Amino acid sequence: MTGEGKSAADRLVKVKRLNALLTPVKELRKSLNEQASAARPTGVLYGMPVAVKDNICTLEFTTTCGSKILEGYRSPYEATAITKLKAAGALIAGKTNCDEFAMGSSTEHSAYGRSIHPLDKTRVPGGSSGGSAALVAAGAVPAALGSETGGSVRQPASFCGVVGIKPTYGRVSRYGLVAFGSSLDQIGALGRSVHDAARVLSVISGRDPKDATCEDRDPLRLPTVPESLQSFVIGLPREYFPSDLDPAVRRACDRAIRLMKEQGAAVREVSLPHTQYAVPTYYVIAPAEASSNLARFDGVRYGPRAEDVGDVRALYRKTRGEGFGPEVRRRILVGTYVLSSGYYDAYYRRAQQMRALIAQDFRNAFDRGVDLLFTPTTPTPAFKAGEKLNDPVAMYLSDVFTVTANLAGLPAISVPIGRVKGLPVGGQFIGQAFLEDEMLEAAYALERVVPATEEA
Amino acid sequence: MSVTRDDVLRIAQLAELEVDEESLPTLVEQMSRILDYVAQLSAATGNNGQRPFVPGPDAIRFRPDEENPWPLAVGPDKLAPAFKGGFFVVPKLDQFE
Repeated sequence: MTGEGKSAADRLVKVKRLNALLTPVKELRKSLNEQASAARPTGVLYGMPVAVKDNICTLEFTTTCGSKILEGYRSPYEATAITKLKAAGALIAGKTNCDEFAMGSSTEHSAYGRSIHPLDKTRVPGGSSGGSAALVAAGAVPAALGSETGGSVRQPASFCGVVGIKPTYGRVSRYGLVAFGSSLDQIGALGRSVHDAARVLSVISGRDPKDATCEDRDPLRLPTVPESLQSFVIGLPREYFPSDLDPAVRRACDRAIRLMKEQGAAVREVSLPHTQYAVPTYYVIAPAEASSNLARFDGVRYGPRAEDVGDVRALYRKTRGEGFGPEVRRRILVGTYVLSSGYYDAYYRRAQQMRALIAQDFRNAFDRGVDLLFTPTTPTPAFKAGEKLNDPVAMYLSDVFTVTANLAGLPAISVPIGRVKGLPVGGQFIGQAFLEDEMLEAAYALERVVPATEEA
Repeated sequence: MSVTRDDVLRIAQLAELEVDEESLPTLVEQMSRILDYVAQLSAATGNNGQRPFVPGPDAIRFRPDEENPWPLAVGPDKLAPAFKGGFFVVPKLDQFE
């Protein structure tokens, strides 16, 4: 076995206890060996192992989306992001555990068991890209791919103490990403550092004729680390610092803000007045789109099929009833309900209109001279496993600071800014559309000065 | 906005999803809570008449609804024994009896 392939496989095997990797060890070793032999030595990511969330299609490994309904499914094609990673010399280091079809905030809703937080086994790593975040945090891989619909890269990155980037909608091709909410979905990158995550994002970004929602733009160019934040105006949206915010999270944010000011940034308070409606808006639009996107999983075209059924409709119903887990079933039902006759205007149309107002809030803030917004990524550090499983609304509220960037299609990044009783806390920058370079500059500058592993 | 057991069963039928009796009470309770929660959108003021926001390239948002030429190298009239008025002509079923 080649050096890069073997050491990547060894590191991944060492953290098996996290249940973050779905690919069997033997298959992983064989594939890494083959990939390492074939990798282009001139690529900018040559030899870099990158783990991939299991809702991104790969030729090397199965793509199950953490669901029983796709158990053993092997895609006949691969995602454009994977093709680009391989062309840059990266090694695809297996598929990572996730909430089923990316629906969840804890990686507890996986048909293959929950993933474990790398620093505290009683807690969740966040979700839905929890397996990717846990592997990066445990040092098994320097970077991983995740996907975002409402914060599924940034929230687990914050919980696990790593960097997570969600690009602007249209910056990265979604070809080969199993669709959940098509107007919200984006592939994102997680890394040990801003640089690791940004390098991966840069490689996977850029035009793709296979995805009509991907903008016709060149790949993202990485900025240099700035000397200071002298020219930056950073907005603090008051709605993201409510009076009931976890005091330790507030302390960590206050310290990060003080450090940015010391770096020369001008900081001013702004208002995004429709923020309070972001979670309800998201939980109408995302399930509505999911109910349509997941209609294709019927036991005929993909995966296992229910047996002993009388007719084709019974086949669909039984396969879907048995194949989908409780959270996916719940969201399909909510989505079907809000799109059904008599409720469409009250829920779906209303949510679409609210989405426009939320996007307008951001435009107003940026029009008033703010370059970036800074907020906590999550209201609390990682919560206990099982704590929110029976209360879907409480679980949804853990996305309260992340869903807005998805609704408005904006880029955002979570950077570790401290610890609370040993658990990581993340700070979030939200940038202007297609100005990821500016957002990354600020993240580089903050990362350089913030004591990310010290108590806030 | 609470939903009933019958509402859930009707929606499940629309969604082609089998729901077992055992999980039905929990689904009714959880769906009611979710719908109650998202119903706060109705109370929000100032969004009537707002055009929906759709992210992505303008070409997707405003693509003209135009009829394009056949994408095939050879038209369908060349692919079938009989083609008339935009349709493939097939034998009547009683010709097989």
